[in-house]
Amino acid sequence: MRERRHDDLERFAHRARRTRQRVAHSSRAMTRSLVALVMALLLASGVARAAPQARVEFWTISLQPFFTGYIQGLINRYEHDHPGVAIRWIDVPAQAIDQKLLAAIAGGVSPDVVNLNTEGALRLAQAHALADLDAAVPPAARARYFPNIWGATRYLGRVYGIPWYVVPNVLAYNRALFRRAGLDPAHPPASEEAFIQAATAIKERTGVYGFMPNVDGIRFLRVFQEDGLPILSPDGHRAVFNGPDHVRVLARYVALFARDVFPRDTLQRGYLGATERYAAGQLAMLTTGPQFLLRVRTDSPDVYRDTAVAPYPLGRGRILDLPTMSLAVPLASRHRPEAVEFALFVTNDPNQLAFCHLVVIFPSTRGAAADPYFTRGGATPEERARVIAARELGSARDLTVAVPHSDDLFRVFREAVERAFFGRMTPQQALDWAVGEWNGKL
Amino acid sequence: MERQAVARSRRAPAIRRILTPYLFLLPALGLLAAFTFYPVALGTVLSLFEYNVIAPPRFAGLANFRALWSDRYFWIALENSVTYLAVVPVLQGCAILLALWVHRSARGLGWLRAAYYLPVVTSIVVVGMLWRWLYDDAGLVNYLLLQLRLLHGPVHWLSDPGIALYAVMFVTLWKGLGYYMVIYLAGLEAIPPTFAEAAAIDGAGPAQQLWRVTLPLLRPSILLATTLSAISALRVFEEVYVMTGGGPIYATYTMFYYMFDQAFGALHLGYAAAIGVVLAAVTIGLSVANFKLLREGGLAYY
Repeated sequence: MRERRHDDLERFAHRARRTRQRVAHSSRAMTRSLVALVMALLLASGVARAAPQARVEFWTISLQPFFTGYIQGLINRYEHDHPGVAIRWIDVPAQAIDQKLLAAIAGGVSPDVVNLNTEGALRLAQAHALADLDAAVPPAARARYFPNIWGATRYLGRVYGIPWYVVPNVLAYNRALFRRAGLDPAHPPASEEAFIQAATAIKERTGVYGFMPNVDGIRFLRVFQEDGLPILSPDGHRAVFNGPDHVRVLARYVALFARDVFPRDTLQRGYLGATERYAAGQLAMLTTGPQFLLRVRTDSPDVYRDTAVAPYPLGRGRILDLPTMSLAVPLASRHRPEAVEFALFVTNDPNQLAFCHLVVIFPSTRGAAADPYFTRGGATPEERARVIAARELGSARDLTVAVPHSDDLFRVFREAVERAFFGRMTPQQALDWAVGEWNGKL
Repeated sequence: MERQAVARSRRAPAIRRILTPYLFLLPALGLLAAFTFYPVALGTVLSLFEYNVIAPPRFAGLANFRALWSDRYFWIALENSVTYLAVVPVLQGCAILLALWVHRSARGLGWLRAAYYLPVVTSIVVVGMLWRWLYDDAGLVNYLLLQLRLLHGPVHWLSDPGIALYAVMFVTLWKGLGYYMVIYLAGLEAIPPTFAEAAAIDGAGPAQQLWRVTLPLLRPSILLATTLSAISALRVFEEVYVMTGGGPIYATYTMFYYMFDQAFGALHLGYAAAIGVVLAAVTIGLSVANFKLLREGGLAYY
């Protein structure tokens, strides 16, 4: 009995020894392969080369996940060509960028290159947060951009953003609803006038809303400009948007609203509400940036299949609004020269052209816009829309109004327009009141 | 030597007795100091400055408050916030009735209590979006009212300047009901059943029992709940932000919303802080009045 146990013990000890050896052996092998892997990674990642001297933080607005590959490709190429620079890319949701940027600047961890829309860039320029890019970008590089687009973020004579891409509105429409209303899907409305008539007809004949015009918030400022009507006097010191033509335009939309030609929540939900309604098949026409069509495609493939795209129906002024995305460099950036250089790289001709091939956006540089992709027409409505919009790049501009105290003035404008829509004031009274308030502050 | 030691050992428990509670309080006090007292003090000081985050603050004295006085949107926001207080009595009345109802122990009431509490733990953003759909022109609320022939056409709950604020207030009411119900339930549990029995023997009917026995004994709970509810009504923001964005025609623009706009939209942080100070003053005034009004009552009082 005893011997038996001894035997067992012996056998157990032996087994344990063997296991230990085996473990030691395999762990040695593992260590070796790990070291090799780490070495390989180190070599591949370029740590063997000089460590980067400048870490440039790059913020974009809502480009993930659709364009992750494109942006990361840009960054990889830039880092490869500039071993001294490391780019740290952060994608921020559109609604959060202002707050996040302020928090970062206040916290002393400002990004170096920030994607901003014109409104955001102007607001931050007014707060003296952005670097003057007229001064930072050499004239030769500046000349590559359309001058009218380069000036999108001009405030008090200085420019605060390098224009990146331009997202003019397009007209997306539901062909099935067009057919139901007896309209020809091959001939979408080409002017503001035809647009309104089509929308009225669709509402009358199908009961479905035809359009949600962009009249919420302060977007009526754009409607005026699209109709060729001025907002400010030429010297910019007086508001002039209460002329008889202005009143007529506003009164027209007020009448449409009163007749329920467009839904009540148009004034509150804006393009988000319009996109939602369109994706639900409850809206026949959508005038919005083409990026919203991506949302329609993911949310409701059925509606997307019935969707065609056409040029934005121009107003009487024949002016196309060119909402411009810019790359700004905060004054708090610690690597300003590197930041400007990276921003110029992102917005150069080949990189913009490649971006435009991925989604319906337009370039801010003449070189990219001269590519046959933008000049040669095509058979599909999308291609025609592209050529028509590209033709406007040299002459149209971002219609964002740049005024001091913009928040106060815009709050007043919004109230005036809504008072007119809800019948609390006549259009004339509303615009007179707003102009009076504006002139008190300009 | 020996006497000293004795004295020390006698003193030690005394010190420990005084210190112990503070040691227990220390973690909470530390957090409060860092994240509440310090920001409150800083915000109050900030209201005397012009500050936009980017440039260093510039002392402005009472300029922010003078500007508030002549700021039309401040008065609009103040008026809306004060109107919002109308939620408080309705909410408390409903919560008390609800608590009385589910206080009885019957089968299935546990489930009911949980159901009433569900909106409280649901994210306000989800609630806001849900109600936006319910309030839609083609939404469930309009559908039901039309089916019941109570309406001729859909009501524009959230886009009619005269209705929107009340529609949002209703959501606050709906969402808060469960929370205050739980407070009142706890208050009701604390009232010994002997009081009700005594009242019944004295010949008091159910209404008299409620009015003369239960409610007076519930007063501490009512004080707590109304104060909390008034504070949250004055600083309402999320519901408005999600459902109406302050519109239409600023009909749902509240103090907190204006503060948010001024701080993060216009970058007038000093001005926003001044709005915050006024809001705090209104809140404190209201709470003090509330305490004066409802202090007497409860088990300890009678």
